[in-house]
Amino acid sequence: MYRSAARRLLPAEICRRTLRLASPTPFSAPIARRAAFSAGPADNPQNHRPDNTVAFNSSPSSDERRNPRATARPKAHWQEEQTRVLQASLGHVIRLGWTEFAMVAGAKEVGVSPSIVGSFPRKEAALVEFFMDDSLQKLIDIIDTKEDLKNLIPSHRVSKLVRIRLEMQAPYISKWHQALGIQAQPLNISTSFKQRAMLVDEIWHAAGDEATNTDWYVKRTVLGGIYSTTELYMLTDNSPDFQDTWAFLDERVRDAFDLKKTLEEVKYLAEAVGAGMGGPVQGFLKKVLQG
Amino acid sequence: MALRSIYRGLRRNDSRLCSYLHSHATSFGFKEVREDEKSQMVGNVFTSVASSYDVMNDLMSGGLHRLWKERLVSKLNPFPGMKHLDVAGGTGDVAFRILDSIHSVAHRALRDSHDDNLLGETQIFVCDINANMLRVGRKRAHDRGLGDDKSLVWVEGDAEKLTFGGASMDGYTIAFGIRNVTHIEKALAEAYRVLKPGGRFLCLELSHVELPIFKDLYDYYSFAVIPKVGELVAGDRESYQYLVESIRRFPKQEKFATMIEEAGFQKVEYENLVGGVVAIHSGLKF
Repeated sequence: MYRSAARRLLPAEICRRTLRLASPTPFSAPIARRAAFSAGPADNPQNHRPDNTVAFNSSPSSDERRNPRATARPKAHWQEEQTRVLQASLGHVIRLGWTEFAMVAGAKEVGVSPSIVGSFPRKEAALVEFFMDDSLQKLIDIIDTKEDLKNLIPSHRVSKLVRIRLEMQAPYISKWHQALGIQAQPLNISTSFKQRAMLVDEIWHAAGDEATNTDWYVKRTVLGGIYSTTELYMLTDNSPDFQDTWAFLDERVRDAFDLKKTLEEVKYLAEAVGAGMGGPVQGFLKKVLQG
Repeated sequence: MALRSIYRGLRRNDSRLCSYLHSHATSFGFKEVREDEKSQMVGNVFTSVASSYDVMNDLMSGGLHRLWKERLVSKLNPFPGMKHLDVAGGTGDVAFRILDSIHSVAHRALRDSHDDNLLGETQIFVCDINANMLRVGRKRAHDRGLGDDKSLVWVEGDAEKLTFGGASMDGYTIAFGIRNVTHIEKALAEAYRVLKPGGRFLCLELSHVELPIFKDLYDYYSFAVIPKVGELVAGDRESYQYLVESIRRFPKQEKFATMIEEAGFQKVEYENLVGGVVAIHSGLKF
């Protein structure tokens, strides 16, 4: 269920086929304008709320179709341009941080005027959110293509998926604390929470979870906690290839899977102790439970 | 301040738009004038108010116009090395703010030689049709110590027929000016022409208030108070009468946004400030 929601909100394939705006034909234009050559629906994605359009853009589509009859560049849709700029900006993040300077550098690299940076609703947050969506999309692709995941037991599967996802952040680790700070700002917190929720849901789904009761929330919360703590641990890990982080992760996942067993064991233990203590205790307990 | 951003769909309003624009071209406030006369009459207004323009702005808006211009510049998000055009920017308010913003950004940025060169490449063009307004602007620049700053270039020109080359500007702003242009669509088309791909168009303009009680208060203030203040301070009641009337004749926010789209801009949106007294329209060119 959530998988389809993820697909709907991160329209990777859909974005490529969709919505080249029909080029507006101004009635007094001195410049000749070519009508758009794609048959997209005439109206804008009006159902997109402003803060969503940037957050849920996919990786850049390379569908700049060459119209053989045209001599000028095809008229680019602004969302594609924004995505291209954000994609290019990621390359500058290591040097310049998750800041508007990285976005300006990205825009220059792509050949678009850096003024476009002003059109992103929350600037740096747009870059971080783009990265989160892009990484989630890559994770989904890996899940779809990697067959050997099915051979692992659930706890190992979860562990492996979290590791794959965190490894995507490894190149940016020196500046990742900045991104975390940006995500924690009040304006950005709801979007970052949603993105993390989707990520955690995706991982559980891939681990073969079919729970339909309150377990669903417990599992997501627990995995959310594991993911966040591992992410933070990674920030200060200096071991080669983050080995310490993966060891930490395995421990936490094992604890979480053991938790269920542990809770049951605690229940049995309490019952055994109660039985062993004999009559007076049981009488007391009965009165407490009835009263 | 109530802030609201609205996304635009593409609509076809051609025939109604034609008649609307024709009416703007021949309206001087609530009076009807010939198209070729309008430009002259507006010119006279600004020649007359130029010297007290800034004082009157402060009085009429209670100092709020400064906040509005700050908001405009923060939306623009200037960067070092930017080529910017401020049209109808006579007395230089917006241009000074952009320059200050760029200098403060450059201080915050990583200091390396590349950035220093970029700072030198920054150019803010202030274009105005009225030489008197430009004169006041140059004087204010001089008083601020920006008299010899190579980044600030004062150009006399017509918004409907700019002398700048195509795709040469990163940003285009017009603050409280587009109302006075005879043919709005020509100004928008020119804006589209001079902007580079990725360039932003921003328009700050007095707009329409729809909130029930506030609208009446605003109307009373506009028609009873402002011309009176104009008479007392600037000695020119007619010019300020023209001002408040021309605000009412200007297209509403949605209509103006459609016009901007028709000129070719994408991602056209607007933000109402003070319940609609002022609106900032923005668009992207690709």
